Amino acid sequence: MKWYRSLKTTMNGWTILSILIVSFVILPNLSILVQFFSEPNENWLHIREYMLQSYIQNTLILIVFVGFFTLMIGTSLAWIISAYDFPMRKFFQWGLILPLAIPPYIGAYTYHGILNYTGTIQTTLRNQFDVTVNQDYFNIMNMPGAIFIFTLFLFPYVFTITKAYLARQSTGLIENARILGSSSWRIYFQVVLPISRAAIVAGVSLVILEVLNDYGVVKYYGIQTFTTAIFQTWFGMGDLQSAVKLSGTLMIIVVGLLILERVMRGRKRFSFTTTKVKLLQPVQLKGRQKWLAFSYCMFIFLIAFIIPIIQLLQWAFYTYEQFFATEFLGLIINSVSVAFIASTIIVVMAIIISNFARLNRGMLAKTFPKVTIIGYSIPGAVIAVGVVTLFTSVDRQLFGFYEWLGLEPTLIMSTSIFMLVFAYVIRYLAVAYNSIESGFDRIGTNFTEASRMLGMSVTKSFFKVDMKLIRGAIFGGFILAFIDIMKELPLTLILRPFNFDTLATKAFQYASDEMIHQAAIPSIFIVVVSGIAIYVFHHVLEKE
Amino acid sequence: MFIHIRNLAFNYQGADEQTIKDFNLTIDQGEIISILGESGSGKSTILRLIAGLEMPTSGNIMVGDHCMCSNSTFTQPEKRGVGMVFQDYALFPHMTVEENIKFGLQKWSRKEKKQRVLEVLELVNLQDYRKRYPFELSGGQQQRVALARALAPKPKLLLFDEPFSNLDADLQIRIREELRRILKSTGVTSIFVTHDQDDSQALADRIVVLRSGEIADLGTPNEIFGTDCSFSERLAVKPRVLSRV
Ligand SMILES: Nc1ncnc2c1ncn2[C@@H]1O[C@H](COP(=O)(O)OP(=O)(O)OP(=O)(O)O)[C@@H](O)[C@H]1O
Ligand SMILES: [Mg+2]
Repeated sequence: MKWYRSLKTTMNGWTILSILIVSFVILPNLSILVQFFSEPNENWLHIREYMLQSYIQNTLILIVFVGFFTLMIGTSLAWIISAYDFPMRKFFQWGLILPLAIPPYIGAYTYHGILNYTGTIQTTLRNQFDVTVNQDYFNIMNMPGAIFIFTLFLFPYVFTITKAYLARQSTGLIENARILGSSSWRIYFQVVLPISRAAIVAGVSLVILEVLNDYGVVKYYGIQTFTTAIFQTWFGMGDLQSAVKLSGTLMIIVVGLLILERVMRGRKRFSFTTTKVKLLQPVQLKGRQKWLAFSYCMFIFLIAFIIPIIQLLQWAFYTYEQFFATEFLGLIINSVSVAFIASTIIVVMAIIISNFARLNRGMLAKTFPKVTIIGYSIPGAVIAVGVVTLFTSVDRQLFGFYEWLGLEPTLIMSTSIFMLVFAYVIRYLAVAYNSIESGFDRIGTNFTEASRMLGMSVTKSFFKVDMKLIRGAIFGGFILAFIDIMKELPLTLILRPFNFDTLATKAFQYASDEMIHQAAIPSIFIVVVSGIAIYVFHHVLEKE
Repeated sequence: MFIHIRNLAFNYQGADEQTIKDFNLTIDQGEIISILGESGSGKSTILRLIAGLEMPTSGNIMVGDHCMCSNSTFTQPEKRGVGMVFQDYALFPHMTVEENIKFGLQKWSRKEKKQRVLEVLELVNLQDYRKRYPFELSGGQQQRVALARALAPKPKLLLFDEPFSNLDADLQIRIREELRRILKSTGVTSIFVTHDQDDSQALADRIVVLRSGEIADLGTPNEIFGTDCSFSERLAVKPRVLSRV
């Protein structure tokens, strides 16, 4: 009798929808895992024999070096800005997040454009100073170049998380160390790095996940990694089965990394969404030190944001006339509408699951949040493979139904824009989820309970009370998801319907076709919209 | 008997021990009951069970003729006709005093709503504060709005969780008297939870002393805090119980 009572009371719309959503998220991943163990074909044996090792090697080199450099730059900037006062410190607090507005693939072809033979630097040297340089020194399209690019445009993940942590958690320890007269360097290495370990690990993990997700940079720079290999086996060789096996392998690596992360950061949990912080009292720097700190921050800000932006603007200037034609408008409409639709679905789903999880106890309420956010760890190309295999098999099942409807029995689901949106939702659900969950955490369950005691159902309570109180978090989640989707490259390249282009795919395509000037305008559009979002986040939502 | 609680038992997930063990209580219509106990003794948990915010592992709760909870049925909190005043009041910050009070009156007609708001505001003496937002009120005023809001839908039973804990001592004594007057004038059955025996003594018709989730004692304030020294010693709810005698 009791289980029946429990079932009856928990089985409401929120529960059922949550179960459905979570199944949606899991299915494509399961689909990969199932096929991962299928009989290998000859191509796969060949890949495994001759290529796999170099994919793994390149991928590892990338994540180790990018992880190391973002750690050093991100934490040192976070430390300087939290602990010291120097010119423009206030600005750098958010200015140094701005490089995140430039997706690494845009940074990659921008820097190539700056440095190559016909680029600004070399042309100036040749024309003004009559200097011709050794091309080897200026070639960025190699492994060190890729590491440079990733570091430059991803370090803000480490910077923001560490900064928030230093300000919130460590005030006492650092102030004690100061009173005891430790030098800055000693405090940095002996106090700051060890105590913010959990935050640093969380930040570096985000960086590594982004590197694993990337297709644009490595493809453009000609480095073979898992993502490029997935594209190549699938589209170059038409071998989806091997693509699935590569995806499965990459997924295993990701899971391994996530476990490693868990172990390394201990029990503390970090979400990327920022919360209000009490700042460490910064010490005023003087003389040479003041300018050293300023120069360091300024240097990073210049190379990670200002220089690429100026270059893009210059290129845009050459081509804006031919671009403000209908094509550009079409791209914006495509990008904005898919991002808008997907983010709306994402926000609704995130609300349903987080509201379910906070109002219920038990197994489902505990596991659902964890499952919901796995999509964010899984590289876009892998999700794409999973979604495609899932949809084609659904299509096959539905052949009979299509015929019955009088339609041609072809692949309907798996060639539609629906599939692209579906994949976006899986990949970016976590982004909105984290924001909305932290909003719910802030208000607690008291208001909901008060509302229910006044005769409102859970659903009515949500619309009349909870939703109004977490408006900021919902809006924030929407914006974050929207921006991520607008920048997205690998998923979109794989899953877009025939002849459907977004700003991101078109920009990348132009750049790949050596039409770098044409790539500038869609790139700038992406960067500006993301930059505005970062600004709004820092200045408006932070203060809520 | 108006309210019947029989063999109520409950434990939070992950807790080793039962939070509430075999709780039995019957309450007459219009009676004011106080649940008195130390921190962690399970007072809030009892209220949450009666309110329907938690589901007991076993036991029955009857309010009037309606079975709120048994092994086979469970009535959702919004369907129980039970009101609650929360410890931190939980006034909706985005609504005015008036809107907060109207919130529980969704099924009433517009005219009735208006009428009722005025009635309860008069009862708690806050007629002039209709248009204020909660953050524009003092702690004592907020508390009275919370009371008005809970009273407005005419609940069969009203629950209070530590209603005075956020007020300073002076205010506490005044509001205590006022609360008893209001409750008695509306005739609503009520249960309030406190760790302060002065509160219990001043407000309640009967007191339930709770210790580790079990009823340690039950009776009128006189029976519980009578002059019998040994009795109080045995009870030892708080050091203050002893020091008073
Ligand atoms: N959500 C929860 N999950 C697990 N255990 C809980 C939860 N809420 C309360 N408990 C435990 O149940 C016991 C009773 O808690 P309860 O809140 O009912 O105590 P209380 O008498 O109201 O105390 P206080 O006077 O401090 O409010 C405590 O031991 C507490 O730790
Ligand atoms: Mg309590």
